Amino acid sequence: MTDTALRPESKTGTPARPRRSKVERVRSRPAQLALNILQRTWLIVVVFAVWWIATADSTNVFIPSLESILTSLFRDLSNGVIASGAAYSLGNLAAGLLIAVAVGIVGGLILGETKRLREIVDPVIHFFRSVPQAALVPLIIGAFGIGQGPKIYTIAFACMWPVLLNTIDGVLGVEPTIRKFSKVYRIPRGLHFRKVVLPAALPQIVAGVRVALPIGITVMVVSELFAANKGLGFYILNSSATFMVPETWAGALLVGVIGYILSLLFIVLERRILGWYFKSGAK
Amino acid sequence: MKTSTKSLDWGLNAQRLLAVAVLLAIWQVVIWSGTLPSMTPGVAALASSIGEAVASATFWSALAQTMAAAVSGWLIAVVAGTVLGLLIGSVRVLDRSTSILIDFGRSFPVLALMPVVIMLLGATAQMETVVVALSCLWPVLVQTIYGARRMEAAVVDTVQIFQIPAFLRFRRVLLPSATPFIATGIRIAASISILVAVGVEVLSQTPGIGRQITLAQQAQRWDSAFAYLFFAGLVGWGIASLLHFAEGRILKWNRQTND
Repeated sequence: MTDTALRPESKTGTPARPRRSKVERVRSRPAQLALNILQRTWLIVVVFAVWWIATADSTNVFIPSLESILTSLFRDLSNGVIASGAAYSLGNLAAGLLIAVAVGIVGGLILGETKRLREIVDPVIHFFRSVPQAALVPLIIGAFGIGQGPKIYTIAFACMWPVLLNTIDGVLGVEPTIRKFSKVYRIPRGLHFRKVVLPAALPQIVAGVRVALPIGITVMVVSELFAANKGLGFYILNSSATFMVPETWAGALLVGVIGYILSLLFIVLERRILGWYFKSGAK
Repeated sequence: MKTSTKSLDWGLNAQRLLAVAVLLAIWQVVIWSGTLPSMTPGVAALASSIGEAVASATFWSALAQTMAAAVSGWLIAVVAGTVLGLLIGSVRVLDRSTSILIDFGRSFPVLALMPVVIMLLGATAQMETVVVALSCLWPVLVQTIYGARRMEAAVVDTVQIFQIPAFLRFRRVLLPSATPFIATGIRIAASISILVAVGVEVLSQTPGIGRQITLAQQAQRWDSAFAYLFFAGLVGWGIASLLHFAEGRILKWNRQTND
């Protein structure tokens, strides 16, 4: 989605004007904006309304009315039950992602620069990447307990591979000419990594982190759904175990909303970090 | 020339084997040093339980159950995602209206819905298929929309001027231009299907490889838990390589590498 939005329309410098029908051109800008917003949001409203009405007097115990779901969601949001759980979960996610990004970038830079080593460990990397992340959860939690550490390690392990593979790709994509320049001017190794290879690979690295983020959220929830005494997943699990059906729904929906918000925040972050890259019109 | 590349390849393979051997040796040393919890199995125990698993009927039926749920969910997602995606991607109004909903759906961790889905459908193979299909739908849908949306202005104008009928336009213009994107979506969805199927089995009582891992861990059979984990990785790897190969063959003319 960012790809299409940010790609320059023409290369000559004059901004290409999108074709519009006459009716649209006559409309004033605020009206245009309102129409645009309306067009993008009406379906959400309809979905919500249909859900609300369809479940309003639901007799099925397992399908509570949307009203009761939202009531319990807001109650637990305001009394801090969810907030403390969310802080715990998101803390784990952040720590796990940080480790994954650090290890992935360093490993990717090293492997990207040394062809022989890369070729040798390539099958091993692809094997580890293919291990289902959720299957690690019982083993790691079983071995190390239900504390915070094992959850962070599991998230880190699962998120590391996309970052690593994308960093390797990014390093391989550095312009050979730039590489030669760096060699000809005898740029010291550290400086070469920091100022030449890393910035050139950054767009790929960020793309890798974008792939890793939803994986991290999934592993975070799964690790808590499996066994935990705190966190968002624990909130869902605990509600379902004690037959608090609206709370179970509320928790699951909240995790979805958090996932969505995080992905939006990541787009903002991406534009900040890679502003120079998008501006250059590369791709 | 040919022999030299061959011997080089042989050397590479030997070095790869050596790398695996070194990793296993490190593993064994770590076990001996006692830094890992005592239940982690050594290399010998691991190898014997991998052999044991291959010989057992439980393993094969678990594998079959996991694969059945993963493949059926994946197929449902591929059909639904392609049809919906082509429709949404080629109609501007639909594209705009659904964009927020689709962005929301694709970033939704479907496994978080597990307790809810288990309440509704029970811990059955059918439930597993539904969860897999729900997770696999998004990559196919998003890629298909992206592929259908992306039409060159010249092509659009040509179609309009020659008054190409809708069906012909769909079959000869829209589909070929969207196919590489759809293929990428299908490939991503295939690896997701295995991950989600195993995840569902870990979290619920649904039979399959994930369930076997949980059972083995609860029974303190760590070696067999690791053996099943190994096979789960092997299956995922096999499917990813297979689809990569197939995509390369079928779409030699235009391969997308944007995953």
